[in-house]
Amino acid sequence: MINIISIVLVPLAAFALGSTIASTRPMVTAFLSTGAIFLSFVLCLIIFGDYLLNIYDPDYVLTGGFPWIDLSYGGEEFTINMGFYVDNMAAVMLLMVSGVSTLIHIFSTYYMADDPRCGRFFVYLSLFTSAMLGLVLSDNLLGIFICWEIMGFCSWGLIGHYFEKEEAGLASLKAFMTTRVGDVFFLLGLVIIWSVVGSVHFRDIYAGLEQGFFSEATFWGMPLISLAALCLFMGTIGKSAQFPLQVWLPDAMMGPTPCSALIHAATMVAAGVYLSLRSFPLMEAANLLPFIAYIGAITAFLAATMALIQKDFKAVLAYSTISQLGYMVLGIGVKAYNPAFMHLITHAVFKACLFLSAGAVIHTIHTQEMDRMGGLKDKLKITWIVMWCCTLAIAGVPLFSGFVSKDRILGEALIMASSHWVYGLPAVLGFVAAGLTAFYMFRMMFLVFHGTPRDEELYGHTKEEKIQWNKNIPLIILAVFTLGVWFCGSLTGQGLIPLASDRYEWLQTLVVRPLDPGPLSEEEAHHAHSVHVIGAILSLVVASCGIFLSFMMYQRRAWDPRRWVQALSAWYRVLENKYHMDDLYIRGLIGRVLHPVCRGLGQFDLRFYDRFAVDGWAKVNEYCFRFARWFDDLWVDRALVDGTGTSVRLFNVVLRMVQSGKIQFYIAVIVVVLAGYIWTVSI
Amino acid sequence: MRGQLLLNGILWLPILGALGLLFVPGEKKNVIRYMALGTTLGTFLLSILLYLVFDPSVAGIQFAYKVPWIEQFSIFYSIGVDGISLPMVLLTALLFVLCVLSSWTMERSLKAYFSLFLMLEGSVFGVFLALDFFLFYVYWEVMLLPMFFLIGVWGGENKEYAAVKFFLYTFFGSVLMLVGIVALYYASGQGAESFDMVALGGGKFEELRLDIFGMDVSFSKLFFVFMFIGFAIKVPVFPFHTWLPHAHVQAPTAVSVVLAGVLLKMGTYGFLRIAFPMFPGASVYFADAIAWLGLINIIYGALCAMAQHDVKRLVAYSSVSHMGFVMVGMAAMSLQGMNGAVLQMFNHGTSTAMMFLLIGIIYERAHHRMIVKADGSRGFGGLSTVMPRYAVVFIIGMFASMGLPGLSGFISEALIFLGIYEKYPEITVLALLGLLLGAAYLLWMFKRMFFGSVLEECKAYPDMNKREILYMIPLCVAVIVFGLHPAPILNMMRASVGELTALLSRF
Repeated sequence: MINIISIVLVPLAAFALGSTIASTRPMVTAFLSTGAIFLSFVLCLIIFGDYLLNIYDPDYVLTGGFPWIDLSYGGEEFTINMGFYVDNMAAVMLLMVSGVSTLIHIFSTYYMADDPRCGRFFVYLSLFTSAMLGLVLSDNLLGIFICWEIMGFCSWGLIGHYFEKEEAGLASLKAFMTTRVGDVFFLLGLVIIWSVVGSVHFRDIYAGLEQGFFSEATFWGMPLISLAALCLFMGTIGKSAQFPLQVWLPDAMMGPTPCSALIHAATMVAAGVYLSLRSFPLMEAANLLPFIAYIGAITAFLAATMALIQKDFKAVLAYSTISQLGYMVLGIGVKAYNPAFMHLITHAVFKACLFLSAGAVIHTIHTQEMDRMGGLKDKLKITWIVMWCCTLAIAGVPLFSGFVSKDRILGEALIMASSHWVYGLPAVLGFVAAGLTAFYMFRMMFLVFHGTPRDEELYGHTKEEKIQWNKNIPLIILAVFTLGVWFCGSLTGQGLIPLASDRYEWLQTLVVRPLDPGPLSEEEAHHAHSVHVIGAILSLVVASCGIFLSFMMYQRRAWDPRRWVQALSAWYRVLENKYHMDDLYIRGLIGRVLHPVCRGLGQFDLRFYDRFAVDGWAKVNEYCFRFARWFDDLWVDRALVDGTGTSVRLFNVVLRMVQSGKIQFYIAVIVVVLAGYIWTVSI
Repeated sequence: MRGQLLLNGILWLPILGALGLLFVPGEKKNVIRYMALGTTLGTFLLSILLYLVFDPSVAGIQFAYKVPWIEQFSIFYSIGVDGISLPMVLLTALLFVLCVLSSWTMERSLKAYFSLFLMLEGSVFGVFLALDFFLFYVYWEVMLLPMFFLIGVWGGENKEYAAVKFFLYTFFGSVLMLVGIVALYYASGQGAESFDMVALGGGKFEELRLDIFGMDVSFSKLFFVFMFIGFAIKVPVFPFHTWLPHAHVQAPTAVSVVLAGVLLKMGTYGFLRIAFPMFPGASVYFADAIAWLGLINIIYGALCAMAQHDVKRLVAYSSVSHMGFVMVGMAAMSLQGMNGAVLQMFNHGTSTAMMFLLIGIIYERAHHRMIVKADGSRGFGGLSTVMPRYAVVFIIGMFASMGLPGLSGFISEALIFLGIYEKYPEITVLALLGLLLGAAYLLWMFKRMFFGSVLEECKAYPDMNKREILYMIPLCVAVIVFGLHPAPILNMMRASVGELTALLSRF
């Protein structure tokens, strides 16, 4: 138990310690992080060795955990437990993550050595690695979600590493927000599953599926299970940069190249695929697989087309990452559980290697524009060889790992297409994208390393490559593992030339999907085998076409690419604008909808609602007061209160007039009164 | 008896401190500062002791202390603490210490400022500890007074307007509450327990009907609405929220911290302590309305926050949004939702206090808070380069506020979502949108202030000094520790919240 938890805790401790000394002692931080992840790697290796050599049982699982939150009171129970769940897939994944991460850490000590914010970089990297390892180990969706978000945070911080640049800030914001869209759905899916199963532990979810917990429940007329699975898959779409949320990944290349290699190519983006693999039984029970297949195939195809025209070294790799992630998702969609996972592993190795090599090139010549490169093979020999290995792997050339895994996915896609027409389009797109992949990767290699230097001055300044332990060794190690034989035990990957017993097909036999329906019938197996062979031949043909085209256009220069661009100029413009998806989101959704709504509401709240509806009461009060005063003054005061005084005063006036003190007046009054008296009496 | 002493100590120490400050000559500024700091620190220590002697397994009131005050009307000086008020007491005690530290450089009428400040602290404790309804009301009103002067005297350029607005808004609510208190006094027979907040609870008034202008009205529903408005203004719930941006923008930093960190919680605390237990049937009846109002808070607050150019106003609107989560969680009336709501009250207190303190720090340097100035130019730029330590603390506060897992806000929000889904699936879906918007406005603000090229005027800003780091550290520790290990707080309130939920589930 303690050795498994330490896998996460050691890099976490390096993060905690490193964050206190990052600014004062950057290099110490760097080696602290590297040492920590190496320790984790050793621990992972021990676990993996156990699985591969001793246990070798597809159903063996290591578990453990601890209560985290307990709200039980009275009769009501509510607890959240955190724990780990190491099955075969997790053991392989752990090895890959910690291994690739270790190598990238070592490379980073070379790449980041002159960076003033080197310490900050390694601190983020440590936190990232511990979160990624935690994600792999976690036995429940909540744990995955927590690590998932922490990785998103690290990604945000690392993309914004060069934060003086305006674009870096924007890119980090875009990356975080785009993945957050998926994350929010993920959280919703988690809540839905909790409400049905009462837990988000994988074992409980699998058990709940078998017992049919989901069968009745609906939400707005939709079966709840479909909604839950869709929400989880939205998490994958966000994190693994699938269509239509793929827009963030190319921009994420603003970060330092080693972090692109680790986070935006090898591990974090693969976490989405890993989540989908973990919840595969749920996806299958929810009938979501065709949808997944379509998303994967569309992503693979669109990203591959966009990679065709990139002029930036890293951008080609970024789009190829999206495209390859699309393959993995396609694999999940066509029930190729094992090949999808295998592609995740093989892709992690060769893509990490590609990015690190690109980093080595960029660090040497200080530019990313392929227009200024060319002919670098004479100066950067080792990098050149290493990068060719990876290119062959990603292009799907036999003997290399990419061929093995990609070909199996395409084979399964073909089988599914032969069983149901719905899967036809994904299979076709998958094959086309394979051809495109070969084309753009070879194009990149020809443009960077071959031909004549296009920028003589830059070429002249480039130093000859010398072997450096922390630069070349990680690259070479990774390049060695781009050979297919490590993963499938045979040279071709199709079992045509097996090296030894079935056991050396370790990935195939070790990683078995949960709730596996069991082996195929003999007839099905025969059908599968023949379709696989067709698929292998097809993908080889397609890949060679791509390679041939690329060779003719960029190496022999027999066919001018500019003429093709002119011929397809409308298409080219669409590609340049990335299918207008950035425009749709940023200018359309955010610029035209969200901003006006926000501004409108903000104005409404203070300028209208507060001013009139709330402060308006002051006006109403004022009128009330005024009325009250008027009423009070005129009626109450003047008429009633003052009225009394006035009447007295009036009386006074009369009296005053009477009692004037003038004798003449008195006599006159007496005379008048007397005269009147006499007059009345005489009548 | 120890507990009772502690409670009285917590309640009266700040008041004594405030009175004591009056005898210090105004020119001895350091004496005044240290006295204020000493008083708040002492109170904080007492509250820690209270936490240590508190028994989390007891659902009811602990350390109740009751002596007659105005015997003719059976009004008592009655205080006590339970699992809902204890987190609030701890939060209050902590935040006031930090606020004193953050006001250290204040020069203007220091003596009056700090004595009003301590008076505010005492009255806030009074609200959280009072168990006699009359006493509660007295503290509720007394709290307005220092607040009014703190905003009205030490505030920004439009301070009088904001102070009067704050006062009138809250006063309007308190008057409705007073009507409720009087009604309850008569309805419960004017006996010895007619102002006893515990004895009034439990749903005794559900059957009671009133005849108002010939209409047959349910007593509990009518007065629930009265109480609701009184507390909703404090939270603030949507149509009653507009005092908040004004008060925040005009208030000095420390007052903003107290306002957002503690005073808003008095509203939700009022629901949990008064409105829900006294009118459980009516609460259940109005739960849907509360939940939808909470949702409006979440979305409306977030959308308004996104439109703001003033950082402080932005964070003020984000408070509206975050308090919406509390409302929604309470309305669900489930174990997870209710616990999540109380936890969110605490967590929002720490994270939003961080945000306001941080804004205060930048305001001291820049003397403005505008992300975009009135003429459209950038107000800040490249602060990450100029003030790296400040940027790190800001990142922690910001991500805690948006609920990043691993930091405290996430757990409360996750609990709330788990709690509300079964009762209000639609609200869950829409509230998740608030989570998205919350990340958007905070990160966008961060991008505009901290990234990009360094503005000429920002180049001279010094990074955080030791004092500033000192008062940020406790909050950083709190958001990280309670994000990874929320059990200490959850255990504290589990029994009391569970009891309240059980009561509500019977109606």
